[in-house]
Amino acid sequence: MSDSGKIKEKRKLWEEKVLDPALKRFRLDKSPSGFYTPADIEGFDFIRKVGFPGEYPFTAGIYPTLPYAVVGTKGSLPSAKGLVRAARYSGYGTPEDTRDYYKMMQSQGLRGGPNLAMDLPTQCGYDSDNPMVRGEVGKVGVSIDTLRDFEVIYESYTGSLDLDKIASNFTINAPSNMIIAFYAALAEKRGIPMDKLRATPQNDILKEFVARGTYIFPPRHSMRMFRDSAVFFARHMPNVNITSIGGYHIREAGATRNQDLAFSMAIGAAYLEEGVRAGLDIDSFAPKFTFNAFGGSMELFKEVALQRAARRMWARILKERFNARDPRSMLIRQPMGAHIGCSSTTLQRPLNNLTRGVIGGIASALSGSPPMAFPPYDEPLGLGWSLEASQLSEDAGRIIQYEARLTDVVDPLAGSYYIEHLTDQIEEEAWKELEKIENMGGAVAAIENGYMQRKVAMSAHERQKRIESGEELVVGVNCFTDESELEVLTGRLIPHPYDEAKREQAEEQQIASLTGLKRSRDNRLVADLLRELKLKAGKEEENLIPIFIECAKAYVSEQEMCDVLREVFGEYKEEAAF
Amino acid sequence: MEKKRPIKVLVAKPGLDGHDRGAKVVALGLRDEGMEVIYSGLRQTPEKIVQTAIQEDVDVIGLSCLSGAHNRLFPEITSRLKEKKMENVMVIAGGHIPEKDIAFLRENGISAVFGHGTPVKSIAEYIRQNIAFNL
Repeated sequence: MSDSGKIKEKRKLWEEKVLDPALKRFRLDKSPSGFYTPADIEGFDFIRKVGFPGEYPFTAGIYPTLPYAVVGTKGSLPSAKGLVRAARYSGYGTPEDTRDYYKMMQSQGLRGGPNLAMDLPTQCGYDSDNPMVRGEVGKVGVSIDTLRDFEVIYESYTGSLDLDKIASNFTINAPSNMIIAFYAALAEKRGIPMDKLRATPQNDILKEFVARGTYIFPPRHSMRMFRDSAVFFARHMPNVNITSIGGYHIREAGATRNQDLAFSMAIGAAYLEEGVRAGLDIDSFAPKFTFNAFGGSMELFKEVALQRAARRMWARILKERFNARDPRSMLIRQPMGAHIGCSSTTLQRPLNNLTRGVIGGIASALSGSPPMAFPPYDEPLGLGWSLEASQLSEDAGRIIQYEARLTDVVDPLAGSYYIEHLTDQIEEEAWKELEKIENMGGAVAAIENGYMQRKVAMSAHERQKRIESGEELVVGVNCFTDESELEVLTGRLIPHPYDEAKREQAEEQQIASLTGLKRSRDNRLVADLLRELKLKAGKEEENLIPIFIECAKAYVSEQEMCDVLREVFGEYKEEAAF
Repeated sequence: MEKKRPIKVLVAKPGLDGHDRGAKVVALGLRDEGMEVIYSGLRQTPEKIVQTAIQEDVDVIGLSCLSGAHNRLFPEITSRLKEKKMENVMVIAGGHIPEKDIAFLRENGISAVFGHGTPVKSIAEYIRQNIAFNL
């Protein structure tokens, strides 16, 4: 008899003789806890399923070693001291406000380029002076209308922090190519060739139709914009990442773990197809794909398994479906691994979110990523984290790494019967869902027909029902809430570096700047360029990025460019999800 | 007096914010509670929301905003309702609303603000009790 057969036989005996009497004693119908054995991963082939870190199928990790873990052993600590990293996703108010914020953070030690948060009008292709966007200017990020605004923000990045020495991140999707055009135009004005620019635009438009909602054009026209970026960056901006794919947003919008993985893979595959169809060799552009993050939850083991499954699945898609040969094409490069997801945080007894974040940081380390205890505990309290919360979040990661030493081993859960079983199971279910989407015609079709949107809304609804029925427990929300529990309050004592008064005035100021600019620029040139843009937009094969750069240099605004495309491409109207 | 027809609710997303999980969960949950629910979809102007509310003759408008534009957008909706003599429509709200803004919103005609983690059942309960009181 095989080992597995023996184990199964022994398990049956154990269940009868040991487990069942215990259940009877505790008056339980079914065991609340599981136990896994080699029989749960029958035929487990280490080389094929896990392999060595940095080697196909990359289950254990995309690099042979954990690069960020080195500092702990060399005796030197990371150069980003104190709360400098709190500057990561940042930007608010007018470009002047954001420039001043970066200058202040630099005086405290900030190095490296900005990770720019842009306001919703910018993300949705509207200028600040559009009456439709009243109340939104400068709120969730900085307002960008024209090249002028980039010129102002980047006044804080000169000399040793000039554009050829830093990397910029832009959370921008539908108008991503216009924002990149602003960046290229700014570099040109500074005499920096665009092949020296390093940047990552989010440029993941398909997920915007499923979550987050900052779409402008219909999916197929959006894919043309994506094609333009893939082709243009591959040829002219080799150090600019093409996309940062985010399953995270889809999960936060309500998707299950399997939907998150399957939808992200389907979306990633659709982008790869687009590049290949445009004539690019897969290995010439796939290495420039990055991932933002997959979504998270409090279920630590499942989140670790998800990360392993995702690495294996993406590698297989690249190798088997797209015939990639370069291992760099097959990597999920992402800034964070397993985490809890912001939607796991609660407004009730918010300090508990620190505990939750720490569990996420542990999951992150175990999944082969820097131990980020994300998000800071005050995430649900309002826009922007306090410095206290950021400090604790930062420290949690440090404690996990330097004191608990969780980053000493790559993929430490590899070989666990339970984790390998979970990894297989998550991957298998995601392949099934991916196949379903591919049979529909791929991610674009599954968005056009509203499939993904409906699935996500239904999953969110199902989860809410489980929470309300008490089937799923959230401490301080649907359990442990009676008056014997203590309400633990937190304060924000250290003022946040964002100036709230400035944020309030931003709209008026930004409209004044834009109005002045629209008066002083060469409006005849603007009109000529917009006519040319319209002509080129009408030709499917035309790459629009060069004309966007010309427009940028003439201070054509983002909305002016988008409006021309709205005329040619049309606008996306949301499918009724239910 | 009991209402003869089901309570009719418009769940709406004013402004540009695309975080619609909460809005959709509330819309589906209130439907499970026996209410008739219309979901507006994203990027609705205050004008459009009031227009839909009139057309559909709703009893309640549920607003959701997570972008920080609530202090601007929500009162614009309630004042437009007032202009149209529709103050009897109950307006409730949710989203990313800091504690400090709740008093201001209540002064401006928002009947109640429901934060993160509110069970849909308690929103339904609130609507039923206060609608009955209004009639």
